[in-house]
Amino acid sequence: MHEISLASSLLDIINEQAAKHRFNRVNAVKLSLGCASSVEPKALEFAFSVQAQGTIADGASLRFEMQPVVHYCFSCRRDHSAEVFSSVCAFCGSEDVILTGGTEELRLLELDVD
Amino acid sequence: MKISVVSNILEANDRIAAENKALFDERGIYAVNIMSSPGAGKTSLVEKTVEALGDRFRIAVIEGDIQDTCDAERVARLGIPVVQINTGGACHIDGNMVRGALSSLDLDGVRLLIVENVGNLVCPAEFKLGEHAKVMLLSTPEGADKPAKYPLMFQESSVLLINKTDLLPYVDFDMAKARRDALAINRNLRIFEISCKNAEGLEGWYGWLSGEIESTRKR
Ligand SMILES: Nc1nc2c(ncn2[C@@H]2O[C@H](COP(=O)(O)OP(=O)(O)OP(=O)(O)O)[C@@H](O)[C@H]2O)c(=O)[nH]1
Ligand SMILES: [Mg+2]
Ligand SMILES: [Zn+2]
Repeated sequence: MHEISLASSLLDIINEQAAKHRFNRVNAVKLSLGCASSVEPKALEFAFSVQAQGTIADGASLRFEMQPVVHYCFSCRRDHSAEVFSSVCAFCGSEDVILTGGTEELRLLELDVD
Repeated sequence: MKISVVSNILEANDRIAAENKALFDERGIYAVNIMSSPGAGKTSLVEKTVEALGDRFRIAVIEGDIQDTCDAERVARLGIPVVQINTGGACHIDGNMVRGALSSLDLDGVRLLIVENVGNLVCPAEFKLGEHAKVMLLSTPEGADKPAKYPLMFQESSVLLINKTDLLPYVDFDMAKARRDALAINRNLRIFEISCKNAEGLEGWYGWLSGEIESTRKR
């Protein structure tokens, strides 16, 4: 449910950018996000579409660049990417594994504007 | 036209959190943010901690509840400054809410500020409050799969308290798996197995926390 706060912060940033770059319409918003971060893209899309009504971002689409969950295994020394975290190596079954990626927080990358 | 922006969505929150932290550092206050799912034992932990350390350090508490003020009342009974944050239905506390709460807390001589976050394993993780450490509470009836399912919370925390160990004989909680997963997510995590009911294992937590408070001095 924190997607509501995130959508409102995103709109704040868009408005700041609009004042700076003088655009008056947002077509698309590119975001990046770790698969194991705590944000639900669908919920964010919905919260954003509701809050954007009547603003320059009304109807703008959100595009997510999802960062995979990445594991590193100390036994077979390999990286393994997946959608969810597991502390057992997918290659060799070792439990000597660490999480090295996938919890990246939501970031705004690019705005497509007119 | 495409505009490259690259900014953290929670930048505004992070800035307020940094201001809170600066205020804590100025006053020599050590601040902890306690997070868990609903009912894991956050308020019980606050009560135990105040009872154990309250004579050595002046403690203040911020309680974040979605609705009523039961938790704040429980803590107020211990005779320490406590303020209830009205999250207005929000599922987490943010930096600005803490900033507001600080103005109605008597921080004079306070060495430890405990923030009890809203019971939720998902939302509070990315909202910085200005705390020095995040503390996760996981209770045994919730199951050992929680670190793997909610890695962000465990990654962000300095301490993991596995609570309700008195219930281990009655619930299927795979302690080895919980520890293994949590450490795979965060190698630096300090793990203590505790029971707020029979007070077992709490000395380790008190020792860690006292050490942190002692090493925080007024600037
Ligand atoms: N058996 C057992 N029960 C506990 C323990 N710690 C807390 N409880 C009980 O668990 C219930 C919830 O405890 P609270 O301390 O209110 O939990 P909380 O995390 O503050 O709950 P919310 O603020 O509502 O999210 C209460 O009935 C406590 O008495 C424990 O170590 N063992
Ligand atoms: Mg509570
Ligand atoms: Zn391996």
